[in-house]
Amino acid sequence: MQTATSSSPGAQSPAESELAQLIVDSLNIDWIKADAIAPDAPLFGAGELGLDSIDALELALAISKRYGFQLRSDNPDNRQIFGSLRALSAHIETHRAAS
Amino acid sequence: MSEHWRERKEGGGRFAIWLISRIGLRCGRGVARLCLYPITIYFYFRRPYERRVSYAFFERIDGRRPGVGKVLRHIHRFAATLLDRVFLLAESKARFDVRMHGLDELIARMQPGRGVLLLGAHVGSFEVLRAATLGHPEVKLRVVLDTQKTPALTRLLHALNPEIGLGVIDASRPGSEIVLAMSEALAEGALVTLLADRVRDAERTVAVDFFGAQALLPIAPFALGGILDVPVVLCLGLYRGGNRYDLYFEPLADALPRARSERDGAVRALAQAYATRLEHHVRLDPCNWFNWHDFWNPQGGGVDRHEPAGQLAGSDARDAA
Repeated sequence: MQTATSSSPGAQSPAESELAQLIVDSLNIDWIKADAIAPDAPLFGAGELGLDSIDALELALAISKRYGFQLRSDNPDNRQIFGSLRALSAHIETHRAAS
Repeated sequence: MSEHWRERKEGGGRFAIWLISRIGLRCGRGVARLCLYPITIYFYFRRPYERRVSYAFFERIDGRRPGVGKVLRHIHRFAATLLDRVFLLAESKARFDVRMHGLDELIARMQPGRGVLLLGAHVGSFEVLRAATLGHPEVKLRVVLDTQKTPALTRLLHALNPEIGLGVIDASRPGSEIVLAMSEALAEGALVTLLADRVRDAERTVAVDFFGAQALLPIAPFALGGILDVPVVLCLGLYRGGNRYDLYFEPLADALPRARSERDGAVRALAQAYATRLEHHVRLDPCNWFNWHDFWNPQGGGVDRHEPAGQLAGSDARDAA
């Protein structure tokens, strides 16, 4: 994973940890704790989280509310962006509204 | 069954679709419709699985085996609506007698910044809706469509009317992109249409009662209205023979619960309301049912996939039961 973060593979950076908490809260996930989400593990499909398209939509709405920017359907990098907590967090940190 | 409906080959192929559309556009709809008779016979003999699906479908809804004529009529209706898609897009709807039902109720729900989710089904012809909006540039219509499922037909229709291609949300993309695209279109006040009667691979499902038995519908179409806070309206374009179509708009839900905790019940209720109205329309005119797969047994076990050895086509009616 080529991201700006320099953290070790297993540990969440502060930004990733905040996003992990948002995922768990907005999607009512009770089978895994926010700090237990592996930064490089797949978010969608057959993974520990196993999110589906409806979860993606809700997550996109929650991200828009929290970080003030929209994930777009026509972004050619979507596959990568939605690929893992780390990738999604890196994307948010790059594009979030200046605060 | 190892073969999911998505893997079923497009009937007829590219050449046949090209040929019939050329005949149609050059010689007119009347001449092209004459070709539908041999095409119907060809389909009957060359697509034994779909033929058995048709027999099993009529047996389920009528309680008795249909005659050959009914199954032939079913196939003929299907072929006729496919042909009409060409004319609906190429020549607008002028030559067709399209009767609208519930249009006022749809219009009452359309707002500039808040679209409407239209749930269709694989019945009749959805193209009637697309054709109906062609003369109205103020109506934004986005159709969620799997362009990979019928590539030849899709290419042809988009070549006939490029405007249509722009309105397509490609359902062969990842699910997260499809729902984001739908969300963006609804936020622009578009009518977003989705056929809600087919389950994609590994998609979560909701069980409904449909013609007295359990059938599975995908959850997403019935959850989206609540998440995006838009009205949900049933939309069916049914073919009545000749040049007649009926286009129905029936409101299913205006305000769905936003909270996740209340959603499961609301999704089940909405899916059942959809199934009940779909059943109503299909019962009145069963030849509009164009799910050419075993709708009630998506995992197999209902209709045999393979031709029983040594049997003549057409005499295997019992196997469909």
